[in-house]
Amino acid sequence: MVSFLEALYTNSILLSAVIAGLASSVASGIIGSYVVVKRIVFISGSISHSVLSGIGFCLWLERAKGIAWVSPLQGALIAGILSALLIGWMHLYHRQREDSIIAALWSIGMATGVLFISQTPGFNVELTNFLIGNILWVTPTDLAVLFALDIVIVLTVLCCHKRFLIICFDEEQAKIQGLHVHALYLLLLVLIAVTIVLLIQVVGIILVMTMLTIPAAIANIFSSRLSHIMWIAVFLSALFCFSGTALAYYIDWPGGATIALLAGLAYVVSLLRLF
Amino acid sequence: MSSIISLKKVSFLYDRTLVLDNVSFDIEKGAFIGVIGPNGGGKTTLLKLILGFLKPSSGDIYYFDQHQNQNKRIKSISYVPQSLQFDKQFPISVLELVLEGRLFNLPWYGKFSKADKTAALQALDLVGLPDFQHRAFGTLSGGQAQRVLIARALASEPEVLILDEPTASVDSESEAEIYRILKKLQGKVTIIMVTHNLQAAIELVNQVICVKQTVTLFSPEAICEHFALGLYHAPLIKLRD
Repeated sequence: MVSFLEALYTNSILLSAVIAGLASSVASGIIGSYVVVKRIVFISGSISHSVLSGIGFCLWLERAKGIAWVSPLQGALIAGILSALLIGWMHLYHRQREDSIIAALWSIGMATGVLFISQTPGFNVELTNFLIGNILWVTPTDLAVLFALDIVIVLTVLCCHKRFLIICFDEEQAKIQGLHVHALYLLLLVLIAVTIVLLIQVVGIILVMTMLTIPAAIANIFSSRLSHIMWIAVFLSALFCFSGTALAYYIDWPGGATIALLAGLAYVVSLLRLF
Repeated sequence: MSSIISLKKVSFLYDRTLVLDNVSFDIEKGAFIGVIGPNGGGKTTLLKLILGFLKPSSGDIYYFDQHQNQNKRIKSISYVPQSLQFDKQFPISVLELVLEGRLFNLPWYGKFSKADKTAALQALDLVGLPDFQHRAFGTLSGGQAQRVLIARALASEPEVLILDEPTASVDSESEAEIYRILKKLQGKVTIIMVTHNLQAAIELVNQVICVKQTVTLFSPEAICEHFALGLYHAPLIKLRD
């Protein structure tokens, strides 16, 4: 363990990887708790995969068209927020075929992303990086954006937690209380999209669902208050990110997959406790 | 005057099926209304129309002499759903749930005032569950959960309380307790209660609305006559046809 800590001290890339992991843990623990208790894991999966369309498009603009000011992170944020709003609108006004539409958005988003990336130099490396994550790849600008988004998420949740709680638990009561149920639901989905973009930096698109759901699902076993679940989930998420990166460093595994596997293992163990 | 809710020629179609046909009635302030009728007769639709969750296909609904569409928040109307409809695994404490009844009062920064907490605790006291505030809602029995939902409705300090079969999923002891709570509220709050158990509720209710596509009203005197003559069950039997 000492050598990993030493490496953290001397290797700034590794250090920023760990900082990125911890920063995204704050968002994933809090927002993941809403995802788990409102049972919208499938919706979140669709948002996370459709994000690839924005990433691919911006990479293509940047590398193939030479537009220097666009970055994959911007593309991811815009695509994530747009697909969150689209799914939200479908949920609120066209509920009959909601799951099919969610699945369609999922695959259309990925296909668009893959097409754009295929037209971009360095196809395989880029695609793999975004799909399974490359935490050692975070730039100082990315870190600054991560922290800014963290702050936005924490402040919004501080102001809106009680409103989100009732949106998740009892929408009818929220209506009677005069809340803007539709706007709050869309806001929650947008926060989920932003969190997903944060997490993609750390574990990649395929493994995002692990970090969004497993820490909160484990926390739910140990607590029956949403605010407590959030604290536990943030702690667990940070723990998985830190120990996963350390383990990956020692045995030379991909960081994102190691983090996700550790989290998955912890979930299985905590589920065994239930039986 | 003093009619608190008015329906004027309200009809409601669901997928071209007529659920409610030309329904008109007034609910007086302080009344205790029992709503009865067969399953699928339109009881729930009637409640949802009154609550504003559904819009009438034709006709108008008035609260306090004001048209439904002009009233953004349904002020002073509280709703008690059936406790069975909730996710038992949802992580929420009893106090958090009762405080939901004070959300109309929540400031933008999202922190309840002391007055809100006091109102919530008083409501819990009123339903006889003062020591339950820290319990998880999912661990309560059916009767306790129903009483907590009543407490949430009362925390809003409503003028009208609407209950959807509050005794549907509870044991007889809890049922008696729920009727005891409603009896305490009688006269102070206008109560509209959907029920299958009119026989037990009849001593509380002072007007009965039978819903079976159309609506039939029974005055208190008529109910008493039916009751006295042992004919009170007749409309129920007729409605089950």
